[in-house]
Amino acid sequence: MKVDAEVVIKDLPLKMRQLKSVAVTVTDDDTDSAVPQELRSWLVRLRLLEGVPFANLVADTELLPPESIRWFYLDRRWTDALVQGALSVGTVNSDDRTHLAAQYKAIRDELDQEERNYRRLPGTPRFGGKVEAVSGFILRSQAVSGWPGLHVRAFTVDPAESDDASYPDDDPRRMRLLRLERLAPAVLFCMFDGIPQVVHLEEPRQGVQFGFDMTAVGSSSRARLQARNRTTFKDLNVPKVDVPFRAGSGSSGVVDIEALEKELAKHPATGAGDGLDAAEYALQLIRFPYRQVFGDPAEVKIDTVFKATINYPSYVAQQFITGGG
Amino acid sequence: MSIAEGHFRLYTHVVPALKAGDYRFGTSQSLTARDKDGDIAAAELPVQGLQTHLRVTSPRYQLPPDQVLSTYPPAGTEGAYGSRLPQVVIKRRTLPWERAVDGGGDGTPWLAVVVFAEGEAEVLTNVPVAQCVSPGVQLDGPVDVEKGSCLEIRTSMVAKIMPTRKDVPLLAHAREVNINDTELMLGDDDGFLAVVIANRLPVAARNADGTEAPVKYHAVLVSLEGPGQFTTLLPKSPPAKSLTDHMVLDLRTTRYAPADYDHQLMDVKVSTPFDVNGGFPVRIGGLPGGTPHVDGPGAPSADDHDGPHADGAHADTMAATAYRTVMSQDMVTNAYSGTGSWKKVEADKGAEYLSVDTGTGFISAGVLEILDPKLRFPALLHWTFTSIGDLTFELLMREADSGLLGTMGQHPTLPEGRKPPEVVETGHVGLDQRTRRGDLVRAWYRGPLLPHPADLTSPRLTLAHTGDQLRTVIPDGREDLSLASAFEIGRLLALSQPSMVASLLRWRQLGYQAARIGALWDGILEGLDIEDMDFQAGKFLGTDLGRALARAISKNPADIIGPPREVLTAGTPMDFDGDPIRLVTKGFGIDIATDVSMVNILDGLRSVEVPRMPLADLSSMARTKALAGAFAQVRDVTLAQLASGALSSQIMTRPGGSFDGGARGVGGIFGGVPVVGPHEQAMVDKRPDALDRALAGQHDQEEDDE
Repeated sequence: MKVDAEVVIKDLPLKMRQLKSVAVTVTDDDTDSAVPQELRSWLVRLRLLEGVPFANLVADTELLPPESIRWFYLDRRWTDALVQGALSVGTVNSDDRTHLAAQYKAIRDELDQEERNYRRLPGTPRFGGKVEAVSGFILRSQAVSGWPGLHVRAFTVDPAESDDASYPDDDPRRMRLLRLERLAPAVLFCMFDGIPQVVHLEEPRQGVQFGFDMTAVGSSSRARLQARNRTTFKDLNVPKVDVPFRAGSGSSGVVDIEALEKELAKHPATGAGDGLDAAEYALQLIRFPYRQVFGDPAEVKIDTVFKATINYPSYVAQQFITGGG
Repeated sequence: MSIAEGHFRLYTHVVPALKAGDYRFGTSQSLTARDKDGDIAAAELPVQGLQTHLRVTSPRYQLPPDQVLSTYPPAGTEGAYGSRLPQVVIKRRTLPWERAVDGGGDGTPWLAVVVFAEGEAEVLTNVPVAQCVSPGVQLDGPVDVEKGSCLEIRTSMVAKIMPTRKDVPLLAHAREVNINDTELMLGDDDGFLAVVIANRLPVAARNADGTEAPVKYHAVLVSLEGPGQFTTLLPKSPPAKSLTDHMVLDLRTTRYAPADYDHQLMDVKVSTPFDVNGGFPVRIGGLPGGTPHVDGPGAPSADDHDGPHADGAHADTMAATAYRTVMSQDMVTNAYSGTGSWKKVEADKGAEYLSVDTGTGFISAGVLEILDPKLRFPALLHWTFTSIGDLTFELLMREADSGLLGTMGQHPTLPEGRKPPEVVETGHVGLDQRTRRGDLVRAWYRGPLLPHPADLTSPRLTLAHTGDQLRTVIPDGREDLSLASAFEIGRLLALSQPSMVASLLRWRQLGYQAARIGALWDGILEGLDIEDMDFQAGKFLGTDLGRALARAISKNPADIIGPPREVLTAGTPMDFDGDPIRLVTKGFGIDIATDVSMVNILDGLRSVEVPRMPLADLSSMARTKALAGAFAQVRDVTLAQLASGALSSQIMTRPGGSFDGGARGVGGIFGGVPVVGPHEQAMVDKRPDALDRALAGQHDQEEDDE
């Protein structure tokens, strides 16, 4: 073979520019395409902001106050810049950069597609197509720390069923979650593959539970119970019953069932009038998982969901007038 | 009546026909008969009675794991369980009513769930079952295990936290669910479950400043079976109130001399620590890894609180003392600070210490044992969980502040000690930036999470090679560092994973090699202009080269591989000897007299009628065979004709005689062969052929001879 050093040196950058890698439709999670498989899956996770410091997601803690839920859209330019930064590692000379520039479009198109296949159920067909809008929310609440495993469901349309209907996992209206992760004990980060119309947050289901509604009163707590009809299980149209507790020190939280029976006996439909039995007592105590529905009510003014502290045009004008003073 | 899915039916109790225990069936028969004297006395007609023994078994000291369908709260978890009553779901519906409770009615379950916070009571494990009940109580009957667990609780605590005798029947019920409802079934087989609920909400504690503090709770499924066990519970409820208090976490700093601290930690010897607060000597309650108390009931408590080293000076005590003298009071190490003890705050009343361990610190253990004896209940099941509050999910979610990221909310609380964040309409936030020269300026930053829909129509971000390429200055003169930060984060995240760096470099190296090979081959292939074909370095280069070569050869074979070989090599004598016709006949194996003219023989052969058989007479197989043979013959002839026709021009030009020379010409082919189509009769050439000419020549010769 005739090796011409001059040709190599002169033509190599040109050749690198021509060296296009083809973004083939990946049919298998494990095949190499534009980039090797392990690099691809890592870049996909990077695109979904895995490992990005929390301070870079939420720039100021004031923007995520306690007990708040904040909705967002994902910035494609930001995630592109993130991937570019990762790809820039080890580009030493201009040859490397020419090469990277030639490959970049194919890599980006492939990541656009592979991003949607992240968190795909094993065995289901792969998703194709171009990148779509991604949205999500950050929930900072004791609900995250206190109810591990709470359910998040997103819908592309507002389901016609009542708010307490149940939906199967493969309901076509349900939107896939690209990420659902606790970033901190009380911070939940969730990303949807699209922009949902309705989002449900539901208390984890752990069978039938028994309990009361608690409210703090000073240094103590009050428990209340909505009395139910013993035959129809419907809530009675009476004020909530205060649950009595055993007095005396050292018995915090101990329910005085006898006194509760007397309270319930005031409402004969509860069945406590002729003496409470175990089944009637259990019936009054049953609690169901609560489901919070977040939707898009009509006619929402923007300033109820987003309020800027600075008006930028007037700020710029001010800068010009005062010279930044 | 079946139950719809998602529905269930509650039963107050499901009492089995026979409670657990030993039973004896007595069978007796009495006969009456009479004879002539009248009735026969019954004593004269004895029938042997039949005694059958029967044992009804049931779990007693340990609940088999397969009987527990679920416990709530789940064991070992941490959550806001403060508004939910702990419960156990048991597979066998009759289990809570399978044993008789001494002092309870027929529907009284023998099981109850007791919930206590760390320090209020204790669960002892691996205790012989005879010691699993309170001192003085004896349980007869068969036991299911040799050693079990038990709940050890002081009488005062029983009155405080355990259900009353009237409560116990209300805390167990049975539930029937649809057997197809997986969520409610929990893995049961018949759709009937028994549920035992606790009587206590596991509320979280409060810190001294009122904030909630997590509490570790134990939940125990205890047995109330046995004489004097159930009756230790309160007969009826003590006074009630509408609010419940929280335990208050009282943090207390205790300083130990180093040696004491070591003893404390290693549980060698409990001695009175220094208490710089001037309070009571405090023993650390609930230190993990403490010696399990397996001493029998009635034995003095293993915790010796009678004062420091009351049993004489041990060697280690001496060492400790010596050590302490060396240490000046100021230098006492603050080796362990902080011990949890539970204190109940009642309206302006003094603190009452509830922790039993703390309490024993200043009352003699023996006196306490008489005043407030410890009781024991067999523990069939025991699990722990941590309660961090009693908030409800509903309340939290209803009151959650919902908005787009970047907003401070409807009612923002302004931060103290600094300005409120600068947020503009686009979602950018003003942040301090230290430039590379060291100036402290403000810059704009926006993370990947936007408060407005992302622009998906504009062109994508062009490739940047360094973060600085993505820095932008915007109209107000500040820099927008959003994308530059993203670039740097991506770069640093990639660098933080050596495997990713290696993968990137490997991939890049492979690309470099491919490009290098391409460049090399371009130099080589540049001047290689074969047949106007475009060569590219790649895996098809070899194939392309081969095709180009084949095409060039076929186009001009004489130039590349030389002229075709002659059929006859010039100059080689042909191996003919004698008369050619005789030679041919000899070749055919016909031994014929040479005096007969060969031409005449051939003419005779031509006129012979070939016998033919009608196809209709043949069998179908023979017909097919005959036809196939005929077709094959025609095909062979046609092929031979085509081949010879193509070759004839060359052959005819070659030296060695012409056809016009008739039979005299030796070698070569006698004239053109008529072409026969596959479906037509063999064309009969009406023109005189070589034989005719030969015959004619013979006649001419004869005529000439004549």
